[in-house]
Amino acid sequence: MIYSPTFPSLDTPLPAKGERVLVAMSGGVDSSVAAALLVDAGCDVVGVTMKLHGDDADVPDRPCCSLDATSDARRVCETLGIPHYVTNLVDRFGQDVLNDFVQEYARGRTPIPCVRCNTFTKFRDLLAKADAIDAPWLATGHYARIGRRDGQAVMLRGRDAGKDQSYFLWGIERSVLERLVLPIGTQTKAETREIARRFGLRTAEKIESQDICFVPDGDHVRVIREHLGADAPALQRGPLRLVSGEVVGEHEGFARYTIGQRRGLPGGFAAPMFVVDIVPDERAVVIGPREALLGRGLEARELNWMADAPQVGDAVQVQVRNRAKPSPATVLRIDDRGIELALDEPIQAISPGQSVVLYDGEVVLGGGVIEKGRRVLPQFS
Amino acid sequence: MSTTPIYLDHAATTPVRDEVMAAMAPFFGPRFGNPSSVHRWGREARVALDEARERVAACLGAHSDEVCFTSGGTEGDNLAVLGVFRTRQSEGRRAALTTPIEHKAVLAAAHQVAQEGGDERLARVDARGVVDHAHFLSLLDDTVAVASVMWVNNEVGVVQDVPALAQAAKAAGAVFHTDGVQAFGKVSIDARRTPFDLLTISGHKIGAPKGIGALYIRRDTPLSPLFHGGSQDRGRRPGTENVAFAVGLATAAELTLAEHEAEQARLEMLRRDFVTALRARVPDAVIHGEGAPTAPHIVNLSIPGTNSESLLMALDLRGIACSAGSACQSGSVSASHVLTAMGVPTELANAALRLSFGVLSTPECVTRTVDALATLAEKARAPRAQAQFAVVDF
Repeated sequence: MIYSPTFPSLDTPLPAKGERVLVAMSGGVDSSVAAALLVDAGCDVVGVTMKLHGDDADVPDRPCCSLDATSDARRVCETLGIPHYVTNLVDRFGQDVLNDFVQEYARGRTPIPCVRCNTFTKFRDLLAKADAIDAPWLATGHYARIGRRDGQAVMLRGRDAGKDQSYFLWGIERSVLERLVLPIGTQTKAETREIARRFGLRTAEKIESQDICFVPDGDHVRVIREHLGADAPALQRGPLRLVSGEVVGEHEGFARYTIGQRRGLPGGFAAPMFVVDIVPDERAVVIGPREALLGRGLEARELNWMADAPQVGDAVQVQVRNRAKPSPATVLRIDDRGIELALDEPIQAISPGQSVVLYDGEVVLGGGVIEKGRRVLPQFS
Repeated sequence: MSTTPIYLDHAATTPVRDEVMAAMAPFFGPRFGNPSSVHRWGREARVALDEARERVAACLGAHSDEVCFTSGGTEGDNLAVLGVFRTRQSEGRRAALTTPIEHKAVLAAAHQVAQEGGDERLARVDARGVVDHAHFLSLLDDTVAVASVMWVNNEVGVVQDVPALAQAAKAAGAVFHTDGVQAFGKVSIDARRTPFDLLTISGHKIGAPKGIGALYIRRDTPLSPLFHGGSQDRGRRPGTENVAFAVGLATAAELTLAEHEAEQARLEMLRRDFVTALRARVPDAVIHGEGAPTAPHIVNLSIPGTNSESLLMALDLRGIACSAGSACQSGSVSASHVLTAMGVPTELANAALRLSFGVLSTPECVTRTVDALATLAEKARAPRAQAQFAVVDF
């Protein structure tokens, strides 16, 4: 064993020696180390890289999902002495993630494609590949943990609070947790890199991927234009309004704006102004002072539960963005259509399209896609 | 059961033969000279190169000045299609006529013709993958500079009637090229009998290294070079010649032809046994190109309800190597343009596997591969006990 006890022990239940594990390998350091730890534990490890983009969309040096990244994954597998494959999920990813991304912006919302990629591409389509090669286990290099509660697998936050990625993982079908292995969720990033160096992995010093993989330059408007055309309503000029309805200027397309955004707004007001609402039917972007951003509740849909669903009246912790401090909240309504939450303390900039993730301490209960924030709480009889 | 790995991807590449290694060795050592040099080292290299050219020419029924060494199939195809088009544009012949089942090297070169202001035409193939001669003829007019039809298809193994197509093209005043990369050693190639003007061959499909091939260029064929530089290879292919690999190609070509008859019979038997055994185990397996004349080394099949990519992974994990079509850069799989052109439904095309037999194939490979395929097919097509991932209602 190269793995040394200087590092925190893996309290995530690991597959037994000789059991086959499909490791999703992006070509980055995290999944490289996940594979290395499983090889070290004696598992029958198979590395698989998802091909998500057409060849004409390749961006050299992109830390993940590029030809270069795929080559890195292949070379890491060669170092570890395990097979490596590429699975072509371009069409699936296009339908489930890219298309949704564009449509959400067209509806004046701010999507998180990484959530849908996890939900559909990684933990559904890639899992089907695990079935095809008789792998009972699927492992990834996410900073989250799998634990057990009442005899059932649950997802926990990553131990490194600064790296915790559980916010992006709420959409995973509950039964999948029983097959999921997250070998690096108990580590800090620094520890992961240190292990990579010990194994002599070429990805040890690789930079982090920060951007959305298909928006490598951060210009999401370009992606929308490519898919919807330059004449899409979301990219046309429209009125910039105050909450009162007064028009105070023009904007260059509401798809350029996100709730809470300050950049690109006109000055000359008494207080700094923020985007507080987007009204796609009127192509309007509504701006207001910081107070207008505060929400006291929210409604979310497209729910998924990785533990038993909460009940009306339950106290939970919620996060409406990655790495925010969890906020206490109460369930006002929950049914097949969605969930209505009351926030004990107001939260700023609750953005439709983003995710709300519900936690019970370290345990990820599940989450949903924010339909809207509420400034005033609805009454339920 | 033996667990020796099984290589069934000879159409992708083959191992370099020991005889070829031995023939090349001196040119990496004492006989390292540049064939263009005037001194003894140069002379030695020149003699070896000329001899290699003669030997390859003899294998093709060609004069030695008609053989141009290239880096392989892709270069040969590009030189043929673009070299002729660029020379003949000025006489008003601006079209490249080919088929939708060509290797990407020809298809992309024909596309480049269109980029350069020419015309790119594709003659239909039927469901078996055989070129529709009537359609080919209808596209063949006095504006066609070059017609290119591959002799043996690299994905399905279908053999085209190159003698007839070449004759028709010539009668219409077009230069005729054939990609013979998969044909060499499998069908009888003789420039004295078949009126092709250009023919591409590649070394690594026949036991020579990757990075060497040859283009047969019939005398007086109008052709401009792709590269510009010195006068090597009569100016058709400037750049210091790869003497060692040229010697390797000549050796591999001679050996391949010498063994042709016995090897042909052996491969035909393997292929037949494979198809018979597969049919017995998986009766609904579809063999693509069935009913057409096919080369003995390639079989392309789809098992309905399976998926190429998953099968390839599962086979490889059992030590069996084959491919889904032709290899692509990222190593991933997408539906074959050849099967699509043959009208194979997408579902079935996405399940296609290409097995190609060759020097490493034995009867045991056939048995084990059929076993593995039958097992994997059964598993893939078994109704799923549980919905592994209930659809989240988004």
